[in-house]
Amino acid sequence: MSSSPDHPIVSTRGLGRRFGRSWALAHVDLDVERGDLVLLAGANGSGKTTLLRTIAGLIHRTTGALAVFGRDPNRARAFCRSRLCLVTHHGYLYDHLTALEMLELWNRLSPSPLPAPELMPLLERMGLAERADHEIRGFSAGMRKRLTLLRAELEKPELVLLDEPFSALDPDGQRFLERWIRSSREQGKTFVIASHALTRATSLGGRSVLLERGQIAWRGPSSQLLSRFQEAAT
Amino acid sequence: MIVLRQLVALIGKDLRLEWRRRARLLVVFVFGAMTLLLFSFALPETEMLVRASGGLLVLALLLSSTLGLAESFRVEHEDRALEGLFLLPVEPVAVFYSKAIANTLFLLALGPVLAPAALILYSVQVDPSAIADFALIWALAAAGLAAPGTLYSGMTSRMRGQDVLLPLLLFPLVGPLLLASVKSLNLVILGDAMDQLGSWRNLLIAFDVIYWSIGGVLYPFVCEEGS
Amino acid sequence: MKPLTWQHGLGILGFGLLVTGSVMGLTMAPPERHMGDVSRIAYIHVPTAWSMLLASTFAFGWALTSLWTGKERYDDLLAGSLEATVILSVLMLPSGMIWAKPTWGVWWDWDVRLTSSLVGLLLFAGILALRTFVDEPKRRATWTAVATIVAYVDIPLIYFGVRWWRSIHQVQSSPETVSGGMILPWRINAFAVLFITLWFIAMRSRIEAGRRQLEQAGEPERIAEAVA
Repeated sequence: MSSSPDHPIVSTRGLGRRFGRSWALAHVDLDVERGDLVLLAGANGSGKTTLLRTIAGLIHRTTGALAVFGRDPNRARAFCRSRLCLVTHHGYLYDHLTALEMLELWNRLSPSPLPAPELMPLLERMGLAERADHEIRGFSAGMRKRLTLLRAELEKPELVLLDEPFSALDPDGQRFLERWIRSSREQGKTFVIASHALTRATSLGGRSVLLERGQIAWRGPSSQLLSRFQEAAT
Repeated sequence: MIVLRQLVALIGKDLRLEWRRRARLLVVFVFGAMTLLLFSFALPETEMLVRASGGLLVLALLLSSTLGLAESFRVEHEDRALEGLFLLPVEPVAVFYSKAIANTLFLLALGPVLAPAALILYSVQVDPSAIADFALIWALAAAGLAAPGTLYSGMTSRMRGQDVLLPLLLFPLVGPLLLASVKSLNLVILGDAMDQLGSWRNLLIAFDVIYWSIGGVLYPFVCEEGS
Repeated sequence: MKPLTWQHGLGILGFGLLVTGSVMGLTMAPPERHMGDVSRIAYIHVPTAWSMLLASTFAFGWALTSLWTGKERYDDLLAGSLEATVILSVLMLPSGMIWAKPTWGVWWDWDVRLTSSLVGLLLFAGILALRTFVDEPKRRATWTAVATIVAYVDIPLIYFGVRWWRSIHQVQSSPETVSGGMILPWRINAFAVLFITLWFIAMRSRIEAGRRQLEQAGEPERIAEAVA
């Protein structure tokens, strides 16, 4: 049951979100097509996380229009969420479960679970195999991140939303993530990535959107994002 | 059915977590036993203690329950695990009923600890044939506290002031449940000469049915940001 | 000077009726056969109780509407109705106690209506406390509505629980059980308190709406976007 291919994966028009007296997002017009990789850049508090959470349907918009897979993510919650995966700086982990138990739980709760024997190989690929039976509370930040990133494998999403995916990962982990993103794109997955690690993120290609105080200030190919920043600095 | 599968998986997760953190459970048990001891200071004569024993037991259950209920959602928010579940997507209804069932089991487990403690401390003689009635009333009371308690602790767990708000909202709400379980426990302990137990039990059942139903309907509204 | 709104008209009418009804109740109506002049407090006590029940029912209705539609103005009305419920119970309890002292000889008797009103007061006051802890307007609206529904459903359970708990209770006062001369001032005051309650709810929800608008800010101007 795949979504129909004729509309963009994500489409926003005049999207705005107010928190109290301040607007975290305003006038955001953004289309993400199938197979795209969109990099969200911008300073802290520029609205990157809010935008990702709004697309995932965790936050309701104040104004504007938003369609994810052609539907409203706040109404067609199950429809949209079963097709997307959001990884944020929160790990979504239970400290007192082991890595394997955590994976088993997510798998059993997901609408289309994998057969149980396929879970250990996933942990192996993330370099967590020998810690599979250890409780998560003993894990380092990087190991927690790797475990959380496995959600993107488990859920088999069409759209992957990553919020600061490179933070907390060691160089090995970062290289692994990069390879994983590239190969997932070859399989037709769509990515929206918010990141400060611009050198690494822009090397993934795709297009970039620069957010400033909740609004889109610049958009263009990722290859030009760094030079744009250098211009602004000089 | 997917909701049922999710419900079973979530109950398993909750019980496993409770077991891994069993030191915390022990604290609640000790707290409950301590309240029973403190009540005996307020009623100096043994005769009064016997007559009040049903009510004191229910109050000990209520006071211990707020500790357990407040804790039950804390583990869900430490690393935003609950948000992760909703993104899978897990049905909010499954989350509510799994938590409510886990909380009921937790309150049930207080029974075998608190009831014998009360019987010994307050020198209450109970006919062994009354144990079934006693257990039924305890179960109805535990379930009745767990349903609105789960709903309210789900709401207040992300808030400043949870420790104040949860009892403030829950205590008046469970008033009828407390009256009914105190009366019925007293009837079991002191004898039911006028055969009144049935109507009190019906009130308990009504309370349970109402709050187990509306809890499942209302929880989806409060589990996330709100529409 | 601002023209009078219908809300103010309602308030003025309510207070006018309240004075009329109370004067009639104090001077023209005959004293009650058993309790004498003491029972004249009923002219204010009973209408307050009725309006409290009505206000809590309004709250329940707005709570359902607010949850269903998600529109903020129903939350304003809900907040007004909740406050009206709490204020009317606070007014009703002392007047009930003043009536109880000469009649039953004690300030507080565990009478079914007195006790359930106290539980109800705590129940609804708790919801107002909950509101002050939530800053996000949408979330505040949802949570208030949910808590109101949960609390309102409890009212009959509280009533029956308390009633069976202590079986001493007296017959409900209603115009049918009292003599003819007492009915008219009673009815007048019932409408008086009802109108004042409606006026209060309307005013309170207007204030709430104003405050909500102050908490919000308009969307910022669109900035020029550079394209590579």
